[in-house]
Amino acid sequence: MHLNLHGRTKPVSRRGFLQLSSAAGLMGSNFLSQIGVSAEQLKKEQRACILVWLAGAPSQMDTFDPKPGTPNGGATKSIKTAVPGIEIAEFFPKVAQMMNDVSIIRSMAGKEAAHERGTYHLHTGRRLTGTLKFPSFGSVVANEIGDPDFDLPNFVSIGKTVSSGFLGVRVAPFVVNRPGELPANVSTVIAQERQRKRLALLKSQDSDFEKAGAAELVKEHELLYRRATRLMASPGLKAFQLETASESDKLAYGKTPLGQGLLVARQLVEAGVPFVEVRRGGWDMHSNLWRNMPRAAADVDNGLSQLMTDLKQRGMFEKTLVICMGEFGRTPKINARPPAPGRDHWARNFATLLAGSGIKGGQVVGKTDVNGQEIIDRPVEVEDLFQTLCKSMGVNADKELYSTSGRPLRIVDGGEPVSEILA
Amino acid sequence: MQRLLQIGLCCCFAGFSILVPPTCAQKSKPKAAEVKPNKKQKEFAKALNKLPLKTPEDKKKMLEYIRYTMPTRVLAKKIQFSSLDLDKSLKHQIGLTDSGFAKRIDDEAFLRRACLDTIGSVPDAEVVEKFVASTDPRKRRKLIDELLEMDEFGRNWARYWTSVIFYESSANKNRVNRQALEDWLSEQFQQNQRWDRITAELVSAMPKYKKGKKEDKNDWGQKHGPNNFVLSCDNKPGEIAAKTARLFMGISIQCAECHDHPFDQWKREQFHELTAFFSPGSYYMTDSADPTEKTKMQAKFLLGEKPVENLKADVRRVAVAAYLIYNPSNYWFARAYVNRVWSQLLGDGFYAVDSLGPDAEVIHKTLVNRIASMFRYRDFDTKWLFRLVMNSEAYQRDIRTIDSQSDLFTAVRPTRLRGDHVATAVEKLVGPDANLSSAVKTTFDLNPSVAQRNLEGSIQQALLLMNNKSLQSKLISSELKKRVVAMKSDNDAVAAIYLGTLARKPQSQEMTRSLAYLRESDNRNEAIDDLIWVLVNSTEFITKR
Repeated sequence: MHLNLHGRTKPVSRRGFLQLSSAAGLMGSNFLSQIGVSAEQLKKEQRACILVWLAGAPSQMDTFDPKPGTPNGGATKSIKTAVPGIEIAEFFPKVAQMMNDVSIIRSMAGKEAAHERGTYHLHTGRRLTGTLKFPSFGSVVANEIGDPDFDLPNFVSIGKTVSSGFLGVRVAPFVVNRPGELPANVSTVIAQERQRKRLALLKSQDSDFEKAGAAELVKEHELLYRRATRLMASPGLKAFQLETASESDKLAYGKTPLGQGLLVARQLVEAGVPFVEVRRGGWDMHSNLWRNMPRAAADVDNGLSQLMTDLKQRGMFEKTLVICMGEFGRTPKINARPPAPGRDHWARNFATLLAGSGIKGGQVVGKTDVNGQEIIDRPVEVEDLFQTLCKSMGVNADKELYSTSGRPLRIVDGGEPVSEILA
Repeated sequence: MQRLLQIGLCCCFAGFSILVPPTCAQKSKPKAAEVKPNKKQKEFAKALNKLPLKTPEDKKKMLEYIRYTMPTRVLAKKIQFSSLDLDKSLKHQIGLTDSGFAKRIDDEAFLRRACLDTIGSVPDAEVVEKFVASTDPRKRRKLIDELLEMDEFGRNWARYWTSVIFYESSANKNRVNRQALEDWLSEQFQQNQRWDRITAELVSAMPKYKKGKKEDKNDWGQKHGPNNFVLSCDNKPGEIAAKTARLFMGISIQCAECHDHPFDQWKREQFHELTAFFSPGSYYMTDSADPTEKTKMQAKFLLGEKPVENLKADVRRVAVAAYLIYNPSNYWFARAYVNRVWSQLLGDGFYAVDSLGPDAEVIHKTLVNRIASMFRYRDFDTKWLFRLVMNSEAYQRDIRTIDSQSDLFTAVRPTRLRGDHVATAVEKLVGPDANLSSAVKTTFDLNPSVAQRNLEGSIQQALLLMNNKSLQSKLISSELKKRVVAMKSDNDAVAAIYLGTLARKPQSQEMTRSLAYLRESDNRNEAIDDLIWVLVNSTEFITKR
């Protein structure tokens, strides 16, 4: 089927995979048993991930690695958490109460201090070099554990994000710009019966073209239209919307784009979507940091804690990995920018928060010095973080994926999982 | 120019080797051994550094001189290579009798294919009818000539190359100007500017951040179209080197940034030597085992050409452009362009357009090498290449499923339309709509450097054509719809719908099916909308057949 023109072609082409997946649809569990898993088992094991992306890079000093009482620490106080000995910034009282469930890495050692590059690095685990584009972790998860025959997309992002790179459009994020909104073009005003007639006519039209020599394209086209039609009719689409959510839920998550986005994320994960990203901008606080931090932090504190509470109540917490991070950190030294000071870009050390699936709570990994300028214990590289994410999602980080030119590329290149926080 | 000539002549070098230090030239000129190489080299570098090579104009003049003395120009006059020669050679290589090849496409399919490949749009119904009706035996050849002279030809290929250059570029969007590049390229192609000149200007550019009173950190001269090749690489030497090799030689050496490639002939050192051309100052390669150890790299082109040391950055860029383009032994350069165009026109390349490993991966190598050398002899005349291929039987064959290597070029592979092509086709139906157009372009965007057989469609594409509100509401009130509704005869109506959407008349079974659909419906108006919807959603609508 697949042309081997340059001797380095991947074993299964993307097209091949699409056919495989459509075949899987036909054969059902037969296909799954062939690859060594029963459908039941797969469903039971189905893990999911919600990435809370703090775009713009939040300050570690004013979130999860505070340095109160030092010149660099600024006006930010720290508060006690549910775990004795662990303190975080005062702006996160609700998360502090749930410290037993979350782990913090305070010694993330980044390498990129520009937004676009950092965003790419922390989404793909790779640095932006050359022309080869790596898939975002969401696309990797969609590729590895997403059911190719699922009604809904396997990767949804509320707000823009890094795409699927060489893994292609099949596992690219379905982007929804506002929480509560349906993905573009999923609804139609055409009555069902008429739509059925149209599709039947389309099938005949395409089958003529198939015979005229375009079999490959027509087969794929049919599959895509079948899936598009199924998505349009899917009851799972409700998970994108907030109509059925209770008012108390909406309030509890916070009536902000992030709060409502996290509520939608929970709904989507419950509906079976394995990866949802929710983006919350506004963290590039070069100036006015102490004016802007309380509101931004409260939004995250509220949404994140409610998300975790909700997941726990629904028995989904153990199977859902929650990540909260941005592209890098901010300068420990406070700048003197008008009208009020802030912090600039800093990738040498920053903090990320992990919870849920496969993550042991109540842990703090790594330590920075008293001024917050140096990692003095247990540096964690971005590759280590991605090894950890893979481990907690049950994704084989050493597996080789194939670039479009047939280059084998490991999901994560090097690094070791952060065993201290793995359950 | 006078001065350049003088230097060129007094050094007694052919134009191409003007940037090759005297020691290298000794091989062919033993007499030069008498001079002290070091002193001579220094003088040479000095002379070159004194050349006015700062502005794009200076650089163009210099490269023009090198081009003028290119040895292949002399050979070119005597050699002919026609579409007939191409077909003969290809048939010989494939080794099948005529029955093994797909048959010649009909006029309608040819017209739509040729229009998409040149001007990037589907022909209007009247054009189709006129072309089909013509009895001129040379009408296809004439059509190709006409299409190549249209401004849209330049625009279409400018869009292709802009997309190639910018695809997945990670450069800061405020420091590049895609449109300026597209406009510039469009102008070049319209004027039939030669490919060597276009490439030379792109590769030798050295955009700089303009310091001054009104400082604008984002002004890197991106308004000047050709600066955007380098800017698309974020001005990073390693990226410029990798992209130069990838786009203009069709080879992938970026893996060699970190390690020797297990299959390729390019070594890690070579990647960094190429990178050194694009570094504004001295360039150091980091040791792969010990990152603290760095080695200073001298600029050296992939085939071993070395300019004299201590050249200014601008001069080095002119040198790399000359080595890339005007060294006749660098067959990769002409072949990469030929392979790109061929794979766009026929749906498959002789090799992966931008990631050729060893040369053994090239299919029908003698043929592509021959076309490539002819392309060089023809002064890199891009329109010559289009004429050669489009007038061949190979191009004018029907589509067919191409499953294995032996099927290649026995038929034409049906290919997905580019995002901008789908947008143009949609616009033809519903009129201009910036939002819709941009949604279509984004949704149907494809990587122009990935082989068609490896591309894939998306659910979002299907959803857009099925349900997009503006598209649907505009389709039901489109010109085509109005015209069709006014037609009394259902036969005429169906024919007009097929012509208006797929640029061809319906086949008999399509006519029968559509007539039945109209007849069975109790709402003719809605049934017409349905027929239009079906064709807009058909695979054929988004495919070049």
